[in-house]
Amino acid sequence: MPLDHRRLRGPEESQPPALWAATAAEDEEDEEGAGAAPRDPCALRPLFARAGLLSQAQGSAYVELGSGTKVLCAAWGPRESAEPGPGRLLCEFRRAPFAGRGARGRPGAAAEREAEREAAAALREALEPAVRLGRYPRARLAVSALLLQDGGSALAAAVSAAALALADAGVEMYDLAVGCALSRPPAPAASWMLQPAEPEERRAAARLTLALLPALNQVSAVLGGGRGGPPEDWAQALRLGLDGCHRQYPVLRQSLLRAAQRRDAAAAA
Amino acid sequence: LSICSRTVEPLEYYRRFLKENCRPDGRELGEFRTTTVNIGKCLCSITTADGSALVKLGNTTVICGVKAELAAPAVDSANKGYIVPNVELPSLCAERFRSGPPGEEAQAASQFIADVIENSQMIMKEDLCIANGKLAWVLYCDIICLDYDGNLLDASVFALLAALKNVHLPLVTINEETGLSEVNLKQKNPLVVRKHPVATSFAIFDDTLLIVDPTAEEEDLATGTVTIVTDEEGRLCSVHKPGGSPLTGAKLQDCITRAITRHKEVKKLIDKVIKSITPK
Repeated sequence: MPLDHRRLRGPEESQPPALWAATAAEDEEDEEGAGAAPRDPCALRPLFARAGLLSQAQGSAYVELGSGTKVLCAAWGPRESAEPGPGRLLCEFRRAPFAGRGARGRPGAAAEREAEREAAAALREALEPAVRLGRYPRARLAVSALLLQDGGSALAAAVSAAALALADAGVEMYDLAVGCALSRPPAPAASWMLQPAEPEERRAAARLTLALLPALNQVSAVLGGGRGGPPEDWAQALRLGLDGCHRQYPVLRQSLLRAAQRRDAAAAA
Repeated sequence: LSICSRTVEPLEYYRRFLKENCRPDGRELGEFRTTTVNIGKCLCSITTADGSALVKLGNTTVICGVKAELAAPAVDSANKGYIVPNVELPSLCAERFRSGPPGEEAQAASQFIADVIENSQMIMKEDLCIANGKLAWVLYCDIICLDYDGNLLDASVFALLAALKNVHLPLVTINEETGLSEVNLKQKNPLVVRKHPVATSFAIFDDTLLIVDPTAEEEDLATGTVTIVTDEEGRLCSVHKPGGSPLTGAKLQDCITRAITRHKEVKKLIDKVIKSITPK
């Protein structure tokens, strides 16, 4: 394993204590999971969103889902870029090492960096249709998302947070991009569920993440895969996801409004 | 006119305030910004980590998450566990930090935290050993800065201390017959934190003036910085002065006295927060 010279080194290998936990604890968790399966598949978890909380970034947003997912996102408005052509959106996605429930993610490892790069590309795909890049020629807009705790539906929360942060930074946008995740458990006739929690996501047979521009009713990104079933099932899942996005939209708009009011009050004081 | 002066000639702007013995944000030279700390079970706790704390020093926000894992001890120190601090300055905390591997400042901060843990003996590595030569705890302390407005070191040390005081380790026993370890997740004991080091940072202006708890703007204008770490018995754990303008012995003594006072304030704050979250 190549040595990471920039970080302090611990032992070569270490395992989380949960690996050796008495098996009784694992059975209990499985039972609990099976017992909780009859969860209303259309139920949305409580969403908390707050914009304008970081002092150093031009725009920022914090989104927390009821299942425990916490995402913090910062955005910077147009800065000069050397390349000609329309504006570019640069996205970055980072997972905190303590975000996952099991082993600690090693920050420098290649697998982590791959996953982060994929997530950043997905973020960009979801946000680009929402931003009026044509208004910022020869400029670059930067968005940086940090996942503090992963409780399922992390990418969807990151999309919402990033859109909020860009709006908070004053970047011209067509609409806010709202993200929603779905998953389908491996049971044969199971139906799609909105916003899976982390254990449900881990055991899922198929996962889907949607990004929607609600006011324009246009989908900006669909990501996912797995053994879903016939195409009608996927279409039904998409409809469920779109509905979920529409229901989350008012909360995000309200948080932007409150942030603007707070900023006005602070400027007047 | 004054705003123009602040961006065009920041040093002159600051000097005008320092002459009156105060700073632009209204603080005295020896006054700290409002410090708040959220530990563990309160809001913004990280349930996936074994211990977590969020510290705000004015605008500077730092979050620390501690994860405990098991590993075999090193060959040359068979009775010691590991503590691995890692300070990260992601690109969202300030515009000048790029994404990618840790830069100079992050690496220096990580090394400083490692030195503080070692010198203050806040956690004895022998306490982390479960079975000599076979199994020991590894505490990965990840300190992430969410908002950088100066004085990173003070906030990081405070966040680390608060998070470690919140860590509960499950009981691990080694089964003699099978030689395998058994972890009992139901029974958790709090981690023993022996000493409570607190860092106090100063910025040196014009080779003579010392101001406490510098903001990012003040750090940029300063000609040097000094960080003093003390523990609860009023003993000096470490003095960190990376270059910068020279300091007389008397000034250093003043810094140490101020640091000891600051320690008392911080200790009171931590005790209050811990008492409020401990279940009765």
